[in-house]
Amino acid sequence: MTTTTDQPPGAGTCPECERATLQRPFTRRAMLKGLLAGTGAAAAGSTLVTMDTRVAYALDAGYAGDTLVVLSLRGGIDGLSLVAPVGDPDYATLRPSIAVPQAAAVALPGTTLFGLHPMMAPLLPMFTAGTFSAVHATGLPQPNRSHFSAMAEMEEATPGSVSRTGWLDRTLALHTSDGPFGAVQMGSTNMPTALVGPYPTLGMNSINSFTLSGTGNPSDRLRWGTALSTLFGEADPVTAGAANDTLAALNTAATLASTTYTPANGAVYPSGDLGDSLRDVVRLIKANVGIRVATIDLGNWDMHVGLGSVSNGWMHDKLIELSAGLLAFATDLGPLLNQTTLVTMSEFGRRAYENDSGGLDHGWGNVMLMVGGNLTPGVHGTWPTLSPATLQVSDGDVLATTDYRAVLADILYNRCGASSAAVQQVFPAFTGTTMGLTKPLA
Amino acid sequence: MPESAAQTLAPDTPDTPAGRGLDRRRLLGRGAAVAAGVAGASAFGGLAAAPALAAGTTRSRLGTAPPRPSLGAPGVTSRSPYVTADQSRLLLRRAGYGVTAADLADVERLGHAGWVNWQLNPNAIPDTLAEQVVARMPELSWPIWQVNAAINNGTLNGWTQMTNTVLAQVVRAAWSKRQLLSVMEDFWSNHFNVTCPGDGVDANRADYANIIRANALGKFSTLLTAISTHPAMLTYLGNYTSTYQLPNENQGRELLELHTVGINAGYGEVGVQNSARILTGLSISSDSGEFLYEPWKHYAGRVTVLGFTDPNPTQTGGLGVAVRYLSYLAHHPDTATRIATKLATHFVSDNPPASLVAELAHTYLVADTDIATVLRQLFASPQFAESAGQKTLRPYEHLISVVRLLGLQPDTTGTNGPQAFVYQAADGGHQPLYWPEPDGYPDVTLNWASTGATLSRWNQTLSLTAGWYPNTLVRQPLATYLLGPHLPATHGQLIDTIALKLFGRTLTPTHSAALLSFVGAASTSPVTASSPAASWYLPYLTAVMLDSPYHLYS
Repeated sequence: MTTTTDQPPGAGTCPECERATLQRPFTRRAMLKGLLAGTGAAAAGSTLVTMDTRVAYALDAGYAGDTLVVLSLRGGIDGLSLVAPVGDPDYATLRPSIAVPQAAAVALPGTTLFGLHPMMAPLLPMFTAGTFSAVHATGLPQPNRSHFSAMAEMEEATPGSVSRTGWLDRTLALHTSDGPFGAVQMGSTNMPTALVGPYPTLGMNSINSFTLSGTGNPSDRLRWGTALSTLFGEADPVTAGAANDTLAALNTAATLASTTYTPANGAVYPSGDLGDSLRDVVRLIKANVGIRVATIDLGNWDMHVGLGSVSNGWMHDKLIELSAGLLAFATDLGPLLNQTTLVTMSEFGRRAYENDSGGLDHGWGNVMLMVGGNLTPGVHGTWPTLSPATLQVSDGDVLATTDYRAVLADILYNRCGASSAAVQQVFPAFTGTTMGLTKPLA
Repeated sequence: MPESAAQTLAPDTPDTPAGRGLDRRRLLGRGAAVAAGVAGASAFGGLAAAPALAAGTTRSRLGTAPPRPSLGAPGVTSRSPYVTADQSRLLLRRAGYGVTAADLADVERLGHAGWVNWQLNPNAIPDTLAEQVVARMPELSWPIWQVNAAINNGTLNGWTQMTNTVLAQVVRAAWSKRQLLSVMEDFWSNHFNVTCPGDGVDANRADYANIIRANALGKFSTLLTAISTHPAMLTYLGNYTSTYQLPNENQGRELLELHTVGINAGYGEVGVQNSARILTGLSISSDSGEFLYEPWKHYAGRVTVLGFTDPNPTQTGGLGVAVRYLSYLAHHPDTATRIATKLATHFVSDNPPASLVAELAHTYLVADTDIATVLRQLFASPQFAESAGQKTLRPYEHLISVVRLLGLQPDTTGTNGPQAFVYQAADGGHQPLYWPEPDGYPDVTLNWASTGATLSRWNQTLSLTAGWYPNTLVRQPLATYLLGPHLPATHGQLIDTIALKLFGRTLTPTHSAALLSFVGAASTSPVTASSPAASWYLPYLTAVMLDSPYHLYS
């Protein structure tokens, strides 16, 4: 286990200076903007076309960081069943009937403290290769054991503020819109709190169901698109923008849906909502439509009663789906995994000790899983132990030793090109940039 | 919300897949099932092409949309081409859920001020149709103790009671003659949001809705006290668990920040703590589920919040202190400004004129927080009269206004139709009463101008014009309803006829031409009963017209 702590901003270097050069002005988008600007200058009579990419950048902040995929495991997942602290002497004692037995746990390189749940064994090669990692004992700064309230607190991530926007909305607002697919909630048209706010978000149940009724053939689609675009032709920019985005997105979805999708590299998605949504996010990433943030929900983790054993039951079944989904996601992406970071969140962890129903009640500290091409391998965080002394402090929970925002800030800072000031904009009242979970953008 | 209540939600939610009771979004999106499945690869015309499907790993980010205005920009630049000067329609679209032929006749008959006055005394308005449908859910009018007992003895399903609470609100939005009351019911339901369905409110949420409706046009001070002592709010914000030893600050904070003076009133964290202390003891009877003041939980000792202070010497006197505190907050000038701003934002403009807000706030205080008096002034104001087009219908409002505009009537039995409306609104992200946060659904264009909401709106509109879903509503044939007994002579006149019926105006020449092209007919080409635009294609033509800013702008 690597032990890391939240670094104060600017420790050692000046992050602003460092970040100022990180916007990579030579993306195709910036190049195109520059060319267009140059063309305009030429048309205006100038004989000298000057291409200044800094000017182009000023026109549009652009974005060339990772696609950030946030998988919300709703209901409060039990991190101690996923990345089990089998080396903690109190773990098995606290959970006489539901602990992952040390002998059954999947051993992980570099740590004797943790082992994976056996149903997560498919992810071991990714862990070894450094494309799957974990941060343990993360959580809200103070415990909040109410589902909705904890979700809201975690996803707004603005303690003491009244912005009532979500952290992903504020992340997206760091750049201008890249079109309708900049932010996608896949699997539902209802936005998670994290995406609440002014930045336009696309919610879709699936790519293939993203269709306009009444447009059953190409000529109908052309007819509708022409009529609607003309009818919105004099509308205000916000309203017209939404209509135009919608028509463009329908085009893209229709194009994608017109061919049967075959996952690459032999990837096999699990059947069900998770597999479908992960597959469709990968389709959008591959389609190069400018997807910066994707969110997916996977519920049914609220295991108060009958969590089950490592060989059967509720947790066992759920982890088969989760592991297969993450494996297929990474496999299917192939080299594009290098431009993708997936992180899991859950509103809280569970109690350290099992209850009388063979389940676990609401708790605090939890594990966050990461999948991506630029992770620091290992199980990260600071393990608080499950000793009686610790549990006295935490009221029987896993003590959250890493603020969950530190994990997200690390991704934003290293993988999404956010400056430390931008990170603070996303997470007001939180100070920190990288805790070494990911590698900086090349 | 209390942990214990959260834990019991799952078994009480038969509408959700087993074990998924807490995955709130699983409930939604059912309306999308009606959308026709379409696959194909042809472009929609007229707009920027979809991004190229570039293979490989190049991560170019070719934009497809025009740049959006910066956050917080007004977003209203050119709405005049779509707006009608018809003040009767403006009134019905703002003070109600949209235009119906009958309500339009009421406004013309009573005059604008007369109609508003009529609406401000809702009990005098006969409301047979809506109340007949609501009466199909008789448990909604039961007191909390009766619902509580019925849920406990298994004769009433708590989840159904909550979903029926939503249905009643939808039924009244669509079909009540008391339109302004319905709008204000929704307004206060958001101002005092208690998410429904939600944790722990199955026995009290219907009564909470009844309380809001009963006080929606009365004095804000009365409404505030009723809300703040209601078991639904005390559950939602957890105050019933609050004690003097460990005050739960949730309701004490939101009371200040959301319900009354607002975040900038200067109460500070000490104010929040005192606010929470004042509210300790406001609780719920574990036997009946009704409100109960529990003196032993109350913090005794001086409390000060803003300009309110009370020696609060005894635990038994705590309820009286709380009532005085609530009255103080209701009459606070910052509350006046906050309520005036919210009303003007809802009824007049996303960026309401400061002059109007100041006038309404003044009236609010002079009228001892009387909401009806404030609304009467608002609807009589020149700022309101000049505000056509300055609002944008939100998904649920858009949906219900289409229902009303098309003259769709309730199912002869049951509530299938309004249930479909709930699913359809949910598909657009605007399921009534379902906002998860205490602050209620956002009320300005910027929050709703999303691709998902737009597509959902377009699909639901066609579903309604075509009668696909819901398909149990009582309705006239669309051609009869829109075109009358005598067909227009030409296609140009046909489009004019529909536009006048829907929008009270004809369209710009460009837009009329676009619709003629949509139906594939020349302006002068004659209409017969077998013309597609007057027969099978009429629902499509009507939908695309209702999809446009002519209807979206309010």
